[in-house]
Amino acid sequence: MIKWRWLWAILLGIDGLIGNFGIAFADYPTRPITMVVPFPPGGVADLTARPLAAALEPILKQPVAVVNKSGAGGAVGMQFVAVAKPDGYTLLLALSSISVMPEVDKLFGRPQTYKREDFVPIALLNADPTVLAIRKEAPWKSVADFVADAKKRPGEIKYSSSGMYGTLHVAMEMFAHAAGIKLRHIPTQGGGPALTALLGGHVDAFAVGPSVIASQLKAGTVRVLACWGAKRLASMPDIPTFIELGYKDVEFYIWAGLFAPKATPPEIVKILREATKKAAHSAEFKNAMDKLNTPIYYLDGPDFQKFWDEDAARLARAIRNIGKVE
Amino acid sequence: MSIDRVSGLALLGIAIFVAVESRVLPFGTHSRPGPAYLPFILALFLGAMSLILIFYPKKDSLSIKQLSWREGRHALAILACCFFGTFAIEQLGYRITMIIILGFLFAVLERMKIWWALLWTLGLALGSFWVFDSLLKVPLPRGGLGI
Amino acid sequence: MTETFQNLWLGFATALTPANLFYALMGCLIGTMVGVLPGVGPLAGISLLLPTTFGLDPTGGLILLCGVYYGAMYGGSTTSILMRIPGEAASVMTCIDGYAMAQKGRAGPALFISAFGSYIAGTLSVIGLMFLAPPLARFALGFGPPEYFSLLAMGLIVLGYMTGGSMVKNLAMIALGLLCGMIGIDHMSGYFRFSYGVAALGDGIGVVPVAVGLFGIAEILSTAGQEKRPEVIKPKLRDLLPSREEFRDALKPIGRGTILGFFIGIIPGSAHIISTFVSYAVERRLSKHPEKFGRGAIEGVAAPESANNAASEGALVPMLALGVPTGPIPAVLLAALMVHGINPGPLFIKEQPVIFWGLIASMYIGNFVLLLLNLPLVGLFVNFLRIPYKILYPMILMFCMVGVYAVNTSYVDVAIMSVMGMLGYLLRKFDYETAPIVLGVVIAPIIEMSFRQALAMSGGKYSIFIQRPISALFLAGAFLMIILALRPLIKKGIDWGWRSQLTKAEKGD
Repeated sequence: MIKWRWLWAILLGIDGLIGNFGIAFADYPTRPITMVVPFPPGGVADLTARPLAAALEPILKQPVAVVNKSGAGGAVGMQFVAVAKPDGYTLLLALSSISVMPEVDKLFGRPQTYKREDFVPIALLNADPTVLAIRKEAPWKSVADFVADAKKRPGEIKYSSSGMYGTLHVAMEMFAHAAGIKLRHIPTQGGGPALTALLGGHVDAFAVGPSVIASQLKAGTVRVLACWGAKRLASMPDIPTFIELGYKDVEFYIWAGLFAPKATPPEIVKILREATKKAAHSAEFKNAMDKLNTPIYYLDGPDFQKFWDEDAARLARAIRNIGKVE
Repeated sequence: MSIDRVSGLALLGIAIFVAVESRVLPFGTHSRPGPAYLPFILALFLGAMSLILIFYPKKDSLSIKQLSWREGRHALAILACCFFGTFAIEQLGYRITMIIILGFLFAVLERMKIWWALLWTLGLALGSFWVFDSLLKVPLPRGGLGI
Repeated sequence: MTETFQNLWLGFATALTPANLFYALMGCLIGTMVGVLPGVGPLAGISLLLPTTFGLDPTGGLILLCGVYYGAMYGGSTTSILMRIPGEAASVMTCIDGYAMAQKGRAGPALFISAFGSYIAGTLSVIGLMFLAPPLARFALGFGPPEYFSLLAMGLIVLGYMTGGSMVKNLAMIALGLLCGMIGIDHMSGYFRFSYGVAALGDGIGVVPVAVGLFGIAEILSTAGQEKRPEVIKPKLRDLLPSREEFRDALKPIGRGTILGFFIGIIPGSAHIISTFVSYAVERRLSKHPEKFGRGAIEGVAAPESANNAASEGALVPMLALGVPTGPIPAVLLAALMVHGINPGPLFIKEQPVIFWGLIASMYIGNFVLLLLNLPLVGLFVNFLRIPYKILYPMILMFCMVGVYAVNTSYVDVAIMSVMGMLGYLLRKFDYETAPIVLGVVIAPIIEMSFRQALAMSGGKYSIFIQRPISALFLAGAFLMIILALRPLIKKGIDWGWRSQLTKAEKGD
């Protein structure tokens, strides 16, 4: 009598072996891939992920589905991928906030929801430096004016941000620390409210991504004083960088990159890197990014790792300087 | 004991819990309120309201003995289904979870005829899965067994 | 003026093309469906459709998404009235009087007035949007943290009037709701509050699971075990339409709800549900028969339904006029435009007249289509009530669970819904109103953040609330309301004091 239970167990075991050791990875990918976006639909990460997924599909010859798993500033989705099966079928499209959250957790002495080391970077897709935006009625004509004014009345100039330790907050504090000035921080619940606060005159300045502020700049409701990049922005060539103005180490990028869980087999990572390279240079992806006013800045895995480590170190320093409020 | 008094006690308990729990967070100052500021004040307010309920219950409120719990057993069973669903929906997958819940409700709780219950159970479980998963493209979990 | 009409003509020409008509129709249909399903609300619907719009032209895509958005406001009242389950969070207030009307056999008129009120509100709001968008938007920007705080504080006081029941109990429920709304990350300091390490609670408990749990699940828990369900009389056609009296009574609330909803809607960051609560409370205050509220007053259906439609369109004002997203839904709509390379900003109306006026025209059409869609369905929906309850409630339970799960594909939401269901059941047993909890959950983050932001702006000085004129106005209003509420107590107190003097005098003799 065949013991069906035994047979079933053996079959499951073989299936598990195949799954875990990836005997099939020579043919990777064999089924649809999930790209997790840890933010709600319509945001920067989402709008980068969807064209990328669409461009990857013909290259990998498998559907690439974008799944939004938002919550806790992205921590929910990132944690989800950090503990997902490292078989190359679950990827993460994250923003620079991926480096910020573990640092903030460390600052507050609470267990980290995930660590940077839980991910292996596949490719960097874009890296917009933030810019310093002020209202058109503001009296400052340059960063020097701004800094001089801030030194005269410390803690009086107000700026908005997308939340405590959010990208816009960290960027501004990085500049304030380098310039030795004290500003007053008014956190809001996101990028949109931060912009509204500036337009309504409730704050005097804020740091923002260039694509968000482009239409307001064109309409003349805001002015831009400087940018946080290593080089000047192609879309705003008259705007100096903070580094040019003498503030060393003041660099901040809102970047988006593709990641996979750390333990993903290197062969699969290599396949993904090649595929993403082709996708990022494809006409459709370029078209999509142009429409979003976001220039592509592509870095392959190992270069991205270097960029990421440097960027993360800068952010960690900035966060430690901010410290705990109250 | 009137229901006002009993519920007032429960609310007081909640207020005390919140007040105690918010002590780990910084209170801040009156000009720079911290994360514990408003929760603590609300806990005080809730506590005050619950004390009013305990000591000045409305004269015409029912006494706790007069409450009818006739539908209680039913409610408990339905609630158990809700909690079961919470944990099963991702472990067992949507369809299996719904089949179990609906089957339980139709056949066991409502004592419908078996074949009629089966019809409704399968129809609703599989139908709703189709509406959400295929039509609306909301990914519903397929559980460990892949169903 | 003529320029506006010329533009409108252009808009209608755009909106009446077969493709755009189709998108409008699709949007309205999907919106109604999404609104009817508990849990899944317009945000979820729009987010799901967003990728589909990438392949369409921008006008068509925007028309489709907006159709879903205001369509959901029509559909949300259906389940609220028939089953006391909010189709989407803003329909919570309709559950109260709408369901009471349904139980009295007046479900048809409730559905009719709600569709009719939504149509009037929707259409009037589009007119407001059309003429007043830019100046209104600039006015709305002037609303800063101090104004928000004062407005919401006044709103909370107004809410204390909500039901005739014990004011103490209502206030306790508001406090409880506010506390629930404070679960999660504190944006001003970065601390996590009451989330005990559960990552999904980091964002707070969300209004959808709370609303569906407190109303939908609690309703099932209370009713499923009852031995006898009230027999639903087969409605005659006459019973489907509101009586002349009901119609007359509903008109002024519709008007007031529209204006209130529209203005609350244009304020960036306000949630639509606030407009429904405020309009309900205002109607109750103005009514000559406040005791009718809660038991099936048509005003209690007409006002909130108009308010939430007006608010949803008001929320589009800052988005279209200034390019500023005022909430999660306008943010997705903006993204839909950005993907096509269009960056809405202050020049949007001038630079993209085709899209703007096409959208405006399409909204007129869409509202009308929804009216035509919803009215005949009234008869269909009312018959839905005739399904035997023992089959109906497991179905409702299933829809609630899947609807709540679908919003974030998170089982934590289902857990919250279940806990709230249990809480709602117990609260009803002990004679409490549960609607204030929902409002508290929605308002808590806004009011707390505004309070602390305002103090941060002023450097810690409380005078900022009084120095700014709009804020001072609201606070004065709030103070006035408190005085009015305490008037009977004060009178009683004076009376009592007078009487006790008399008694003492008598005794002394």
